[in-house]
This record gives sequence, C-alpha cells and structure tokens, in this order.
Amino acid sequence: MSASDFYALSPLLLLAGSSVLIMLLIAVRLSHRIIQISSLLLFAISLYSTVFTADILPYRIPPLLIFDGFSSFITALIIFSSLVVNILSYVYFDEKEESPKEYYVLLFLCTLGSCVLAISNHFVSLFLGLEILTVGLYALIAYLRGRNHSIEAGVKYLVLAAFSSAFLLFGMALIYLETGTMNFSEIGERLRTVDNIPVIFITGLGMMLVGVGFKLAIFPFHMWTADIYQGSPAPVTAFIATASKGGMFAVLFRFFASIQGFNFPEIITILSVVAIASMLVGNLLALRQNNVKRILAYSSIAHFGYLFVAFIPRNAISLEAISFYLLSYFITTLTAFGIVTLLSVRETDAEDIGRYKALFWQHPILACVLTASMLSLAGIPLTAGFIGKFYVLAAGLQGGFWLLAIILVLSSVIGLYYYLRIITIMFSKEEHAEIIEKKAHPGFYVASSAALVILTFVILLLGIYPDAVIKLLGGFSMS
Amino acid sequence: MDNLLWLIPALPLVGAMLLILIGNLLPKTYVAIIGVGSITISAIVVLLTGYSFLSSPPEGGQLTQTLWVWFEVANFKPEITLYLDSLSLVFIFVITFIGALIHIYSAGFMAEDKDYSRFFACMNLFVFSMLILVLADNLLLLYLGWEGVGLCSYLLIGFWHESHANGYAARKAFIITRIGDTAMAIGLFILFYQFGTLSINGILQSAPNLWPVGSAIATATALLLLAGGAGKSAQLPLQTWLPDAMAGPSPVSALIHAATMVTAGVYLIARMHVIFELSPAAQMTVAVIGAATLFIAGFSALTQHDIKRVLAYSTISQIGYMFLALGVGAYSAAIFHFMIHAFFKALLFLAAGAVIEALHHEHSMFRMGGLKDKLPVVFWTFLIGCASLAALPLISSGFYSKDQILWYSWAAEGGDAILWVLALSGAFITAAYTTRMMILTFWGESKTEIGHKPGKLMTIPLVVLAFFALFAGFIELPHNFGHFTLFSDLLHPVLPETRLGESETNEWIFQLVAATVTLGGISLAYYFYYKQPQRLSNLRSSGAFNRIYDFWLSGWGFDKIYDTLIVKPVVYLANINRRDIIDQIYNAITSGTTALYRLLSFTQSGSLRWYVMGLIVGAILILTIQIML
Repeated sequence: MSASDFYALSPLLLLAGSSVLIMLLIAVRLSHRIIQISSLLLFAISLYSTVFTADILPYRIPPLLIFDGFSSFITALIIFSSLVVNILSYVYFDEKEESPKEYYVLLFLCTLGSCVLAISNHFVSLFLGLEILTVGLYALIAYLRGRNHSIEAGVKYLVLAAFSSAFLLFGMALIYLETGTMNFSEIGERLRTVDNIPVIFITGLGMMLVGVGFKLAIFPFHMWTADIYQGSPAPVTAFIATASKGGMFAVLFRFFASIQGFNFPEIITILSVVAIASMLVGNLLALRQNNVKRILAYSSIAHFGYLFVAFIPRNAISLEAISFYLLSYFITTLTAFGIVTLLSVRETDAEDIGRYKALFWQHPILACVLTASMLSLAGIPLTAGFIGKFYVLAAGLQGGFWLLAIILVLSSVIGLYYYLRIITIMFSKEEHAEIIEKKAHPGFYVASSAALVILTFVILLLGIYPDAVIKLLGGFSMS
Repeated sequence: MDNLLWLIPALPLVGAMLLILIGNLLPKTYVAIIGVGSITISAIVVLLTGYSFLSSPPEGGQLTQTLWVWFEVANFKPEITLYLDSLSLVFIFVITFIGALIHIYSAGFMAEDKDYSRFFACMNLFVFSMLILVLADNLLLLYLGWEGVGLCSYLLIGFWHESHANGYAARKAFIITRIGDTAMAIGLFILFYQFGTLSINGILQSAPNLWPVGSAIATATALLLLAGGAGKSAQLPLQTWLPDAMAGPSPVSALIHAATMVTAGVYLIARMHVIFELSPAAQMTVAVIGAATLFIAGFSALTQHDIKRVLAYSTISQIGYMFLALGVGAYSAAIFHFMIHAFFKALLFLAAGAVIEALHHEHSMFRMGGLKDKLPVVFWTFLIGCASLAALPLISSGFYSKDQILWYSWAAEGGDAILWVLALSGAFITAAYTTRMMILTFWGESKTEIGHKPGKLMTIPLVVLAFFALFAGFIELPHNFGHFTLFSDLLHPVLPETRLGESETNEWIFQLVAATVTLGGISLAYYFYYKQPQRLSNLRSSGAFNRIYDFWLSGWGFDKIYDTLIVKPVVYLANINRRDIIDQIYNAITSGTTALYRLLSFTQSGSLRWYVMGLIVGAILILTIQIML
C-alpha cells in the first residue's frame, strides 16, 4: 500500500485505531466520563479527516475500495451520526447497571463497518463491511442485557441477519458464477458485452436484494424493524436508524449504478413494488401505534421507500436528491431519538406515548425540538424534510414515475397523522405524566440538549436556506 | 445604502420573533423598546435608502437584492429577492414611517393592557409581512406577505378575544378576505403556468407579447387579481368585513385598516397594471367597482353612530377613489391619494382612539360632544384630518390628491361622465359626513365626562401626522396652477403616464365644481347638525326618511343579503346534512386505513418464525417477478 492509500483511508484507520485505543483506556480503568469524552474527540477527529482528505478525490484502491465525492459525503454523514449518538450516550448509559465502557468500542467498530460499505466497490469489501457492522450491532442491541426485550431483540436480529446474509452471499456467488468477477465496475463491463441478461445473474441480483432489503428494512423484509428498534437502547436505535443504513444504501446505489441495473425492466418493477409497498406499509403500521420507538421504526420503513422514488429513475438529480434526503433524514431522526434518549429513565426508555403528554409545559425546549423533527419527518415546508421530499419528488417526476410520486404524496398524508398526533399530545394541557429530572449529570444533560437544539437549527436552516448545501451536493459525483 | 434593503423587513421580523419568544418575560418598557424601536430603525433605514435612491437613482430605476435562493430543483427556483422601485419606495415609506408613529402611539395607548407584548409582536409581524408584500420580487414572496398580513389582521381584530363579538369580527374579516385571496391565488397560478416564471418583472415584460389585448385569458387573470384586491381592500362586493373589523384596538385600525393593509389591493393592481391594460374590460370593471364603492360607502358613513364605523366606511369610500383612479389609468393619482389618505386617515383613527380612550371607551358620537376645549390637541389635529378627508379646497392635502382623481375620472382615456358624477357626489357626501362627525364629537354640549387625557406618547404622533396631512399634498400640484409634479415624476418610470381622452376639458371648471360641491357638503352638515338640529329631528319623524336612514346605517343591507343568500342556505344545508354525506368518504378513508393498520399489525406478531417466513416469502416474490418478466 502506498502513502496516498493510507491518506485516503485515514478516516477509517482512525476509526479502527480509536476502537483499540478505547479498549486500552478501559484496560487502565479510566472512568466512563473520560472514555466518553475521548471517544467524542476521536469521532470528531475522524469526521474532520473526511473533510481533510477530500482533496485527493476521486481515488481508487483497486480492486476493493473507491473514494469519490459521494462516498466521502456518506462517510462523513455516518461518522457525524455516530458522533451525535456518542454525545447522547453518556447520560443514558451512566445510570444503567451494566458497565457502559465497552459500548464505545462497539460503536467505533459498527461505524467502521458502515463506512467500509460506503466506499466498497467489490463484493468482498461489501461483505466485510456488512459483517463488521452486523456483528457489532448484535452486541449493541442486546447491550442492556437485564432487560427482557433487549435479549429478545438481539437474538432476533442475530437469526434474521444471519439468514439474510446467507441470501446475500448466495446471490453474490451466483453473480460471480455468471460474470467471473466480484468487482462492481468489471461486472458492469461484462454485462455490457452480452445481449441477453442471463437468468442466473438476475436470480443472483434478486437474492442480493433480500440481504440488502433486510438491512434497509424495506418491504417485505421490514418485519424485524419495530421489535429491534423497541428492544435496543435508545442511542443504539438512533444508530441503527441512521448510520447503519446509510452505508448500505450507498453501496446499493453504487452497485446499481455500475451494473446499470436501472436499464433492466425487471429490476425497475421489483424496486417500484418494494418502494410503493414500503411507503404504504410503513405509514399504515405507524398509524395507531402508541410506542414512539415503534412509530419511528415504521416511519423509517416509509422513508426508505421515499428514497427509492429518487433511486429508481437514476437521472441527473437522483444523486443530489438521495444525498440531501439522507442528510435531512439522518439529522431529523437523530434529533427525534435524542429526545427519546434524554427523556428515558433508568428502568425504561421513554417509548410510551403517554410519557410525552403535556411535555411542552414541562420542558418547552425539548418539546419544541421534537416538534421540529416531527414536522421535518412529515415534510412540512421550512424544514429540511420538505426540501428533501420535494427533491425526491422532482427526481421521480423527471424520470416519469408518476405512480411512485402519487403514492409518495398519498402515503405522506397518512404519515402526517401520526407525526401530528405526537405533537398534539405534547401540547395537550391535561394531567401530565411525571417526568423524573436527571440531576445526576447536569453538565452532560445540558450538553446533550444543546446538541439537539443545534440539530434543530440545522433542520430549520436546511429548510429555509438549503441552497448552500444543495450547491455542495451538486458538486459530488460518483466515479 | 443599497445593500441595506434587507434590513427594512428584517428588523420588524427580529422584533416580532423576540417578542414572541421572550416577550412575556420582559417588563413593559423593554417590550415597548423592542416593538417600537424595530419599526423606528426600519423607518430610518427606509429614509436613508430613499435618499440614496432619489439622489443617485439606480440603473433602470430599480434595485434588486437577492438574499438567497430558497432551493433550486428541476428549473423551479423560488428566490428570496427584494425589489425596490419608486412604487415600492412610496409604499415602504408609508408603511414604516406611519407604522413607527402608530407604534409610538400604541406604547401609550396600550399601556394598561395585560397582553402588551402579544400586541407588539403581532404589530411587528404585520409590518414585516406588509413590507415583504410590497418588496417582493416574485409571486411566491408576494403571496407570503399577502397571507401574512391577512393572518396578522385576523389576530389583531380579535385582539381582545375575551369578547365573542370581537372573535366573530375577526373570523368574518378572515373568511371574507379569504374569498378574494383564493381568487387571487388562482390568478397567480395562471400567471406562473402561462409564463413559467415567478418573477413579477419577467411576467410583466413578456405579458404583452404573449397575450393579445382583450384576450380572454388576460381578462380572466385580471379579474381574479381584482377579486383578490377587492377582498383585501374592502371593495364591492367584499366590503362588509371592514366596518366590523373596528373591533380591534384603534392603533390597529389606523395601521392595518386605514393606512396599509387595506391598500394592498391598490398596490397589487398598480404593480400588475400591465395585465390590466391588456384587458380593457377588466380595467373598466376596476373603475366601476371603485366608483360604486365610494358612492355606497359614503352614504353609509353619513348615518353611523360609532365614530370608528364612520371612519371605516370612509376608508372603504376613499379606497374606492383609488380604485376608480386605477381603473381610468390614472395610476400615479391613485398612489398619491393612497399616500395622502394614509396620513390623514391614520391621524383620524389615532385621534378617534384618543377620544374614545378619554371617554371611557365610548364609541357613539351622540354621547360625545363639547370636547373642543377639553382635548385641544386632539381637536386641532382631528380638525386637520377632517379637512383633508373632506378635501377642503387649497389648504388641505386631501384636496390636491382627490382633485386629480375627480378630474381624471372624466378627462382620462378610460373616464366618462357617469364615473365623474359618482365621484363628485362621493365628494359631496364625504364633506357632509366629515363635518357631521366633527360637529357631533367636538361641538355642542358635553355628554360624557372625560377621564384621563392622552399623554405625550399619544399626542406627538398626532401632531406629526397632522403636519403631513396638511402639507404633504403640496408635492403634487395640478397642471393649471403650480404644475408641480414631483410625485408623479417619481412614479413614472414604473407606472405609465395617464393618457387623456380626446375631448378637450378645462381643468379650471372641474376644480371649481369640486370645490363648490365640497363646500356644499360641509354647509349641508353644518346646517342640519349645528344650525338647525331641529330640522333633522323633524325629518326623522317621517317613515320614508327613516327607512333610507336605516338602510344606509346597515351598509346598504349587504350583510343581510349575504346572510339570506349565502349564510342561511349554507347553514340550512348543513343542518339537513348533519350526518355529512361527504364526510362518509373521509370516514371511509379513516376506517379503511385503520382496518389496513389492523390487518398489517397481525404481521407484527413478534414471533421469529413468522419473520423468517416473511423473508422467505419476500425472496420468493422477488424471484417470481423476475422469472415472470
């Protein structure tokens, strides 16, 4: 490996190194506080390194990895999400009986796995990244092993992820059988030389889609989502909802772009069915749900359905639309889960919707933050979610996918119901549930709240003045 | 100075946001400093901008400042751009300058109110929206301002929301203007659809090339815009909300329902004059609506008891003059009258507010009287305002602005004798009801003891406004004497010069007639209300006279007509349709989605076996689709 390879890889190397470093810090018995702060710094450094190394783009490390504007944006987004999760984790984990320290090691590893996905250009790196991510997640999901739901969620995820990985591997094997290569670009080249797409290749693609669909929690592989979201500790749920999906979506997009999967009518049909069903099923399942974590789980199904509306046409603004949507969705989701985390108490997470009753009159700031994020998820103008949705719609309509666009609009209307329901509950003036104040760590509590307030401002900024970001995203390309 | 343009709307917005967020925590003094200060600084910025605009006119007489592009997706590119030309300059000057005076007045007027900060928050937000409306470079921003002023008007009419009547008045204003707003929105959609751009200038430039004169689409669009303007500006047939809107505090009436918001319709038509000129029929409609409104509202003003309702009807009637001027193509005359009217009508409302406040919230003029010596400042300023409203010849600014309109209503290309007769009788009635109001309020014997006198905060704005109400008219003198055309010269780059009709007309005669008519109106009221009040009582004992009197008092029965024709049938139908048939559709959607939710919830059993099955079924599904295709 050359020096410039190391340079390009520095964000990932930093993440990997951080996990070792944190392990050493644990070994010398440093306190939770020091470990949390140092991991925060390490996340910040690796985030900065993604910006820092942007000058050598595009860059390839053949045959496995590729660095371009898109991958670097996704990497930065993933690391940023983990950083926010890390900020939220201290208050949440410090009062739990389990030792919270090893949690940070796992967080670094999972982030690393997701980043590997974002830059991979080869089945091997894809699978490596996926496994680094998934194995870490098993432990993270079941981290609070004292809770019933935790173990259940961990085991469910283990079984299902293993099952879906098998599909993914089998699909890769079939494609390798047909094309004789595992590099995305080379697969694409092989395909261009044949007239008829071989059946085995198509079958392999379908099998891979099962594995990928599972990770992204899209219909019909969505069923685990709510149980796992509910059973995981709130910061981990935030991680699953954002960082763990970003890498997968990026690699899927890259793979389809390289093999020009958008030219196969079968693929378009399958993806359209998946997208339409995800939008409808996600929003319908969330409709009368009383558990906030489950609501957000179902809403994530719908949101990835929306993303496919920009994904399928694969036109000039698809890339921009997807990047913007991921950005706005990640920030909004992190904010929402941040509130869930801050309101959680030692025994249970703040997942019952009753906990949010009259929240505004007790914690006006937290309630306003959650309101902003709900409005953004619902896609109300002047929030990031609106611009994202508008973008996605524009991409879909430019490609002439009217049915997708109409379903997007209709299902958004259904979605409005449960987002607004949370808001009305927060502003109702009835007897409110008793919320125990977190007096234990006022400093960290304030820091977490401040982070969420900043994220809220970003949501509004992206809604009011998105042009700067749009210009930035427009400059990204995929090589 | 050019780059300060954004500050003008930004300052009131900051003020409003501060007051909304933390206004309740601040003592009243700070609230007043934020509320009044933001507008005052904004007014100073306007003066600076105006000075540099006039001393070194920018290229093409216009100045645009793009703050940012909201977003740019697939050729849709709404920009946040401010646009300043001489038309918007006049408007922002009036909005901020009079707005600042009214805010200062309010600091005194509302001093005892418990919702002090809410009041200033709404007022600041209003000024912001109004500034956005007139500074907008594109239709989207214009619409934002348009809706914003409507919202603030609603909030402020119903400011004292403890009383049901105020809430009703607020809703009435909102709903009736909404009829116009909807029409206007459709008009804006047509413009966007036809021209493919949101930019107002872009539309105005390409309109004459795309639409032939008199084409149906131009007429339709112009009429839709006119409906929007008529709703906001309380013109026939959407005028009924304004008298009820007087339920709000007096400064609100002065700012929103006299000086600024109600003239938004005038602004819209002046700004879009190209569209109107493409449709002579629509332009004629503007003139007819204006003339009819000024006539009808004038008679209603003649019979009101409530001093603020007199002023409300008078506002409707004066805006009718502006519409008339726009309709005959005398744009700068309309804008000139707008400015002069803003000065004297704001003055009259503020002075009336001071009187009402001093008399323990007494609104009826018949229980006022004899205030001439007790409230000298209010008396003199009110007198000046009345002189201007009645267009007292030569010495009041109202004379110069209204005289132009009277003359153009005959002499301009679009004018004719009938419009002129209506306008002239309007002038007669105006003089009469103004004199009546003056006499009833300030002369005669005192019927109610006054409480506290207005303080300095309230009297200073009155004096300033009185100064302008007296002298502002001299910046534009008629052609035949003085021929001083500062104001219309300013506007001519934006608004075309008024084209005169073919027949020769002698302006002198028109002025003489107008002056005579005004003096006639004044003497009529003087005779009946001061000299011989007995005569009026005698007249009132006759049935026919009383019926006409009541008819005018009720605003020509428009409320009753609308009630019978629209409200009652709707309520009746609603009653029959108590179990709404159309609701069934929505209920079906609700129950349908809920049923789907229930059905799908079964799949969320929590059982791992089931989930694995789901994965397998999904895989089979995908493979089937692939093989089928």
